Amino acid sequence: MFLAALASWNQVEEGKKKITARDISARIEALLSTSQTRMGYDLNQVVVKNKIKGLWRMMTGYHWHYIGAALSLGISAASKTSTYLLIRYFVDQYLLAQSSTVSLPLIAAGFVMLAIVEGGFAFLSGRLAAETAEGTTRRLRNYIYNHIQHLPFTYHDKMQTGELIQRSTSDVDAMRRFFADQAIGIGRIFILFAINFGMLLSINVRLAFLSIIVVPLVVLTSIWFFKRVSKAYEEYQEQDAVISTTLQENLSGVRVVKAFARQEFEINKFEKENWNKYLRGKKLNLMHSLFWPISDIICGAQMLTGYFIGAIFAINGTISVGSYLAYAGMLTWIIWPLRNLGRLIVQLSTGMVSFGRVLEIIKQNREPLDTGSAPIPERLRGEIRFENVGFQYEEGEKVLEDINFVVKPGQVIALLGSTGSGKTSLVNLLPRFYEYTTGRILLDGIELKDYPRRYLRSQIGIVEQEPFLFSRSIRENIIYGVDRLVEQHHIEEAANAAAIHDVIMGFPENYKTLVGERGVTVSGGQKQRIAIARTLLKDPRILILDDSTSSVDTETESEIRDALTRLMQDRTTFIIAHRIQSIMNADLILVMDKGRIVQHGNHQDLMAVDGIYREIYDIQTRIEQELEKEIANV
Amino acid sequence: MSDDYFEEEDFQTKFSGNTFRRILSLTKPHIKWVIGFLVAIAIVSALDSYFTYLSKRLIDEGIVAKNVVALRHILTIYGLLLILQAGFVFIFIYLASVLGERIRYDLRKTLFNHLQKLSLSYYSRTPVGWIMSRVTSDTERVSDLITWGLLDMTWGFMNIVTAMIFMLIISWKLALIVFVALPILFVVAVQFRKRILTQFRLVRKLNSKITGAFNENITGVRVIKALVREKGNLAEFSVLTGDMYKAGYRAAWLSALFLPTVQIISAFALGAVVWVGGLQSNFGIITIGGIQAFISYVTFMLWPIQDIARVFAEMQHSMASAERIFSLEDSVPEVKDREDAIPTSTIFGDIEFDHVSFSYEDNVPVLEDLTLKIKKGETIALVGPTGGGKTTIVNLLCRFYEPKQGVIRINGTDYTKFSLNSIQSRIGIVLQTPHLFSGSIRENLRYGRLDASDAEIEEAAKVAGAHNFIMKMPRNYEEPVGEGGNLLSVGQKQLISLARAVLAKPEIFVMDEATSSVDTLTEALIQKGMDVLMKRTTSFVIAHRLSTIKRANRILVIENGRIVEMGSHAELLKKGGKYYRLYTKQFRDQMEAEFDPFGEKLNPQNLPIGGD
Repeated sequence: MFLAALASWNQVEEGKKKITARDISARIEALLSTSQTRMGYDLNQVVVKNKIKGLWRMMTGYHWHYIGAALSLGISAASKTSTYLLIRYFVDQYLLAQSSTVSLPLIAAGFVMLAIVEGGFAFLSGRLAAETAEGTTRRLRNYIYNHIQHLPFTYHDKMQTGELIQRSTSDVDAMRRFFADQAIGIGRIFILFAINFGMLLSINVRLAFLSIIVVPLVVLTSIWFFKRVSKAYEEYQEQDAVISTTLQENLSGVRVVKAFARQEFEINKFEKENWNKYLRGKKLNLMHSLFWPISDIICGAQMLTGYFIGAIFAINGTISVGSYLAYAGMLTWIIWPLRNLGRLIVQLSTGMVSFGRVLEIIKQNREPLDTGSAPIPERLRGEIRFENVGFQYEEGEKVLEDINFVVKPGQVIALLGSTGSGKTSLVNLLPRFYEYTTGRILLDGIELKDYPRRYLRSQIGIVEQEPFLFSRSIRENIIYGVDRLVEQHHIEEAANAAAIHDVIMGFPENYKTLVGERGVTVSGGQKQRIAIARTLLKDPRILILDDSTSSVDTETESEIRDALTRLMQDRTTFIIAHRIQSIMNADLILVMDKGRIVQHGNHQDLMAVDGIYREIYDIQTRIEQELEKEIANV
Repeated sequence: MSDDYFEEEDFQTKFSGNTFRRILSLTKPHIKWVIGFLVAIAIVSALDSYFTYLSKRLIDEGIVAKNVVALRHILTIYGLLLILQAGFVFIFIYLASVLGERIRYDLRKTLFNHLQKLSLSYYSRTPVGWIMSRVTSDTERVSDLITWGLLDMTWGFMNIVTAMIFMLIISWKLALIVFVALPILFVVAVQFRKRILTQFRLVRKLNSKITGAFNENITGVRVIKALVREKGNLAEFSVLTGDMYKAGYRAAWLSALFLPTVQIISAFALGAVVWVGGLQSNFGIITIGGIQAFISYVTFMLWPIQDIARVFAEMQHSMASAERIFSLEDSVPEVKDREDAIPTSTIFGDIEFDHVSFSYEDNVPVLEDLTLKIKKGETIALVGPTGGGKTTIVNLLCRFYEPKQGVIRINGTDYTKFSLNSIQSRIGIVLQTPHLFSGSIRENLRYGRLDASDAEIEEAAKVAGAHNFIMKMPRNYEEPVGEGGNLLSVGQKQLISLARAVLAKPEIFVMDEATSSVDTLTEALIQKGMDVLMKRTTSFVIAHRLSTIKRANRILVIENGRIVEMGSHAELLKKGGKYYRLYTKQFRDQMEAEFDPFGEKLNPQNLPIGGD
């Protein structure tokens, strides 16, 4: 089902021209709902104390696949063993029998048949395990991806990007290997052991038990060895990281290296780390070169003991010659695979660690996007009322306190204050990025908490100081937040209004130019204007602007200012202000300090009283005077 | 971490004799090791085949003949050879793996040393990530080819050849059946391997895309939430994971199909052997042990075949890796000493740009016909818009690049007549974004002059105003700065790189002022440190701060690769031109920040002209 939906989605992608936006969103809707039946299993149920149970639940939808994989493995192993039994039959009943009634071609065909069954089921097992592993992983990846974008800011604030990426990629891949290789691999060793040992028992009980004397020794040595090897390997990898860092620092600091003519020094530094890696590699390899021959000898000794006793039994007539041959063959499949058990067990334990780390993410609660009791109007008016609003993080001091003010639709509110005064926290409450802890905020007379977040956010536009652009085309960046069809001329209109159209047309592939590493580098001012175009298209009722023109050329600054003015028309606008000129026309100015509003009013009101605002304003005039003086003096 | 985001490159190349010879020549210094592990693996491989033959004798001469003495005799030989084989196993694993490490080491060393010689122009056109991949993953692949690749090939061929010999000894007729199956097995195996490899490469490529998607999802989460883009994102991501599912699934089942297919093909050979062998045994041509040996040989034939197939499949990619490594090794530095270059004893003197033109790429001139005379000890401030050519002037001065046309003279001599080292070791440079190396503060300072004593280091730190903050660190001068210096603040990094330049006792001082703001105190310290350096040297400052600009002897306004205005602060201000506009704007911004009633700077200080 899902694949079919996906395939049709791909076709949609190819035949882009004819489809409407409604089609696209319908497709996405369909895609998600069909996937829900198979993929939408809520992975939150995986969070249980018992990890095995958790892993089993993670496989939901694939349980029969996995059971099938295990059964196929058994059938395949049984066929392998049967091949040896067929050898026994062939030797005893045909080669050694005086008068044979057995058909030779039939035996030959038997070998081929058994091989086909063995191979066929081995393949089936691999295929089923792969489907389970890949399917489970795909679901896990999608779930985590979606989960991450639904986790609240309080979570993102405390998690490091690198850590989160590590968990969603390498740890998830470790889960895949667990399902695809490790669990199956260990199962395979046990099944091989069980079936072949069972057969040995049927041949001769004493012989069977004499053949597995070294098994505990091999298993323990193997586990012991692989534990140490994985540690040595970690050290080796660590040194690898050191080398990469040294190299990276050297390459990115090439100007410093050259300026100080320190090539020789750098060479020696790298040499040290490089040699260190060689030594660690040598140590790791020494361990390998000891383990394999030693385990060879242990396993070899067991084999030879088995051969000897088996051969004596065969000479005595305790077992037939054919049985001996079958025995010798099966012995191989009991002893040798055990050497790898240690590797699988060690890998399994790291897989379990990864599982725990993935669970840490899954455990977190999402912020619901769609819950809310407020009747959703087609269009907000944009009237906002803060009543005794306070905010603080779970533990920690108050960030906002006693915030009271009223904004009429279409008004401009400027927030003035130093870093950490609470300006950003205040505006972050509006799209419910964070939830206010006391008081209430009314939007068009209805408490903010009653609006679904999705609706609220669709009505609020944010232009940040240094907006984040995605590494896709400029066009896609501009229409990023719009889920209706956007025609090219609409995009261009928005870009024109944002004073970025001409810049875009100067890029190698115009609107199709990629942003970032694989495309063009976009300056801070250009990013800001793209974000303005993006917000114009989104057409929100409420606007939040971080009014900064840092690292922007003089000409661009006025262009951005014009673009912002166009954007602000007919919208309730919050400006996080950094300079007085830009807020003089605001309907309401809030001067903030330490989470409180210390002054409020419009420019005229605030100028009339003695306070920080007037102080700031006075400085402006003083600066102009100083400048005049300065120029006159030269 | 960030390297993971580079999309996995996929290169293949046709077999080239030259490249292959060059790869082999890498083993030359260690030829004894190569011979050692090849001999060891050949013996191990031959013994493996011989063990099967011994099993045959064990059955025929021991069990069927009911001869316990012969049985003991054969098992004793078996046991002794097993121990001997274990010895050789040790030897080949040790020699091959350690040699592999060694060749990796050699390659990394060669590449790194060569990289130090290459000019800045190489670095400006080659992304760091690309170079990193050459030094890290390509060296792995090449060294794997000449150790494990060579080893697996030898093992495989030896195994097949010795098995053939024993089969011929036991029964040439049966052996012929097996020989017919071999080429089929081989062709099938190689085809399979190639497809599997391609599929796995696709998986890797998709994997790095998925990592990239996660990266954006996490770093851009604010925008995603603000624009309520969750649903659309998930739909896009599902397409990606869907592709990944398909590719991963295909890779997995191809791998799962590989061995069974090879096994089934050899099972036909096995059936034929049983059939024909059974018939022959009636006439006593072949023994039970003989048939058993054939069954073993055929059953285990698939391992050498799969190994050889793997090496063949990977060969193309390893060759491509080698070619890239060699291309890096063969690239020639653009700026290097002339044959008759002499070391200069000093570069403290008059500097002259005589009709200098320069371009990074052909047809895109960056500097055009620049003529400029700087007196010994003068301080020059360079201002102007981004991309105007300020950094290029400095790059030429430091001889990171050389003029395409025209001459730069130091004390009247064309500076290309001097050795690079003698010029560059006399230049002190502070970059806009200070670059520090992982290690302690002291190590970073000592970078300026390697033989500096601890006292001298501290003296330089004092001059640069870094001493005080260093002493406040828990471990003072031994405090680690972190990767790229990221444990320190921007201001601290600037102070350290300034102290580093002070320690170097340069004769020419180059400073690219940072555009990002630092607190007022640090600012003052930096100014003081710069003053000291400027007094002793001929200085070039790409200036963003009023105080620096004002203190310069001469200000050059650079735009579009030309000097548009030149003169002292007062002269240029009176002129009322470009400089006037830049200055008044900057003045307002800076004053506004300085008189900030909130007691801190609200807005980063940038000259509107920005930085290069």
